[in-house]
Amino acid sequence: MSAEELEKVFVSLVDASWKKYNERQQNTHMDELLLGSVIASTVEQGYSLIDLNSDGVNHFLRFEHLPSKTRLIFQLTNQSEDLVTAKVIGRQARVVIGYGQMVQNPGAIWQALKSEFKSGFLDAAEPGVITCDADLASGYIYVQVPLIIDLDTYFSAGYEVNYPLLQQHIGATVHSLSKYLRGRLGA
Amino acid sequence: MLSFLNQFKHGQEMRESKDEILVGELVRAMARLKSPAIGFVANSGAQMVRFKPLGDPILHSIVIIVDRKTGGSMIQQAVIGSKATIQVQAEVKNYLSDPDDLVAMYRTDLANIFKMPMLGDVKLDHQMNSVFATKRVMIDIDDYILKGEESIGRMTQLITAIVGELKQKLTQYKKS
Repeated sequence: MSAEELEKVFVSLVDASWKKYNERQQNTHMDELLLGSVIASTVEQGYSLIDLNSDGVNHFLRFEHLPSKTRLIFQLTNQSEDLVTAKVIGRQARVVIGYGQMVQNPGAIWQALKSEFKSGFLDAAEPGVITCDADLASGYIYVQVPLIIDLDTYFSAGYEVNYPLLQQHIGATVHSLSKYLRGRLGA
Repeated sequence: MLSFLNQFKHGQEMRESKDEILVGELVRAMARLKSPAIGFVANSGAQMVRFKPLGDPILHSIVIIVDRKTGGSMIQQAVIGSKATIQVQAEVKNYLSDPDDLVAMYRTDLANIFKMPMLGDVKLDHQMNSVFATKRVMIDIDDYILKGEESIGRMTQLITAIVGELKQKLTQYKKS
């Protein structure tokens, strides 16, 4: 082989290495890509991000719709950070979405606390199980539901995000949770 | 509280959340500019977000650090408002670097070590096959949040102007 041909082979090896490297990198970015997309979608719906937190595995977000004081909380966990898992079962994430409302009525808070106690007996790790929670410090009552989502539905290989679909899915979940909470509070 | 609610700071006033609100607006503005967020580092002092500019032939990534300087207390908020520095760092990555180029880059690095960038200056830096351009500006947070499309427009304008300036400095380092 000539020197030029050898250089071409070398360049192709480096090029292929970058492709593999980028594929792994993108897979590790998936949870934070989801985090960013949830922030962009929810802020676009009129909510303000008021808390952003992470314990290294789970990411936590809290939003408030300032005119109505309603809040949304999210817990996002990438379940396929490992490339092998992602290739075999697809890219999945566990998402807990919560809807909170400020409540002045002590009776409603007491009811929520009783529900919170009962919620402790449910297996909240199962998807679709709606649990109730109260934050006495800020006077908010939340209902929340865990879901498992297919990340490939929202993100393409090149970091393209399907924001309308993500907004629709968040909106539908929040609608159902708010209806459930209003029903519980008798509003 | 049985769930992840205890992960959040409770009883805080909205004044204390202004830097988070700013980060939320920043992420939304960048999403509109086709640069989704792909990395977050958040702590009580500063918040760093990494963005991926899609379809940009020059830039590989953009990192924005929001560092709130004032306005955490009611007195500061009333007297000097909520000031924050926004540091924008744009990165050009060359996928195959010639050893001669790397040697040349390290020479530039040595010249950069003693350079103290003033607020508003652009600093260039090299690391292996990446070249970074960084600029820091001070803003009043209230100008960029909670004013609907007016504040979004202002935020988009600020980011577009800074990224454009950084990109101009970096274009010469991008190899085809």
